[in-house]
Amino acid sequence: MKTVDAKGKLCPVPLIMTKKALGEIKEDESLKILIDNETSVKNVTRFLEDQNLKIATAKNGNVFELMVTKTGEIPEDISAEKYCTPDDKQGNYVVSIQRNRLGDGDEELGKILIKAFVNTLPENSILPKTIIFLNSGIFLALNDSPVIDSLKKLEQSGVEILSCGTCLDFYKKKDELGVGRVSNMYDILERLSAAGNVLYP
Amino acid sequence: MFYKIFIFESSHKVLKADKVLTENKIKFDVIPTPKEFSSDCGLSIRIKESDAELLKVEAILEKNDLNFKVHNKEMK
Repeated sequence: MKTVDAKGKLCPVPLIMTKKALGEIKEDESLKILIDNETSVKNVTRFLEDQNLKIATAKNGNVFELMVTKTGEIPEDISAEKYCTPDDKQGNYVVSIQRNRLGDGDEELGKILIKAFVNTLPENSILPKTIIFLNSGIFLALNDSPVIDSLKKLEQSGVEILSCGTCLDFYKKKDELGVGRVSNMYDILERLSAAGNVLYP
Repeated sequence: MFYKIFIFESSHKVLKADKVLTENKIKFDVIPTPKEFSSDCGLSIRIKESDAELLKVEAILEKNDLNFKVHNKEMK
């Protein structure tokens, strides 16, 4: 029996590997697919079910074993990639941080409020798609930022973090960026205009 | 991760705590006070429970006349 080992692979790779392997085996032959993350299991299962294939899933420790028997050809033009859904936790909103404090009023209060805001983001049930830092907001994304750990945690969870290059340059902080990447107004406007919601804390 | 959550009497005290801990180069997070701990002040300070500087933190706060309550909480 042919085995597809998609352990450690993230979507859409397990989908592509599965489709390719199904193309290589004969009718009535079985295929075993090994996957170690639940999102990919769901996506691959959906893909196979849509091809009218029967799947048996077993779990062995951290590894899921999907067994499927080929009962028909998979059309070449089916895009396996489109079964790749982003993790449910990721929302379609962008946080645009335009200064190093939150709200108008006392500056010291504003600075402590923005820390509390950013430190709470990793625990929010829906994570932002992108966080953008502009003007004095870039100070929050520097190496010595009091919220650098939370931002790194967000980045590890798949949140894109962009800082305005012009702003880093203006404040002469380009070498001190501690998280995410340097961006420009084209990319920033692209993210803002494609977002479902934009939060301006 | 387990954290010690420091809760203060007012926002002004949190601002002061933020200032003195920063001056002493302590690693901490300002967070909204977790819902289960009632407090007049919506902001708290969070430090990793494993942090060796915990006693130092308490000493710094006491030295600066900052009264606080400490709670334990597991957070992501």
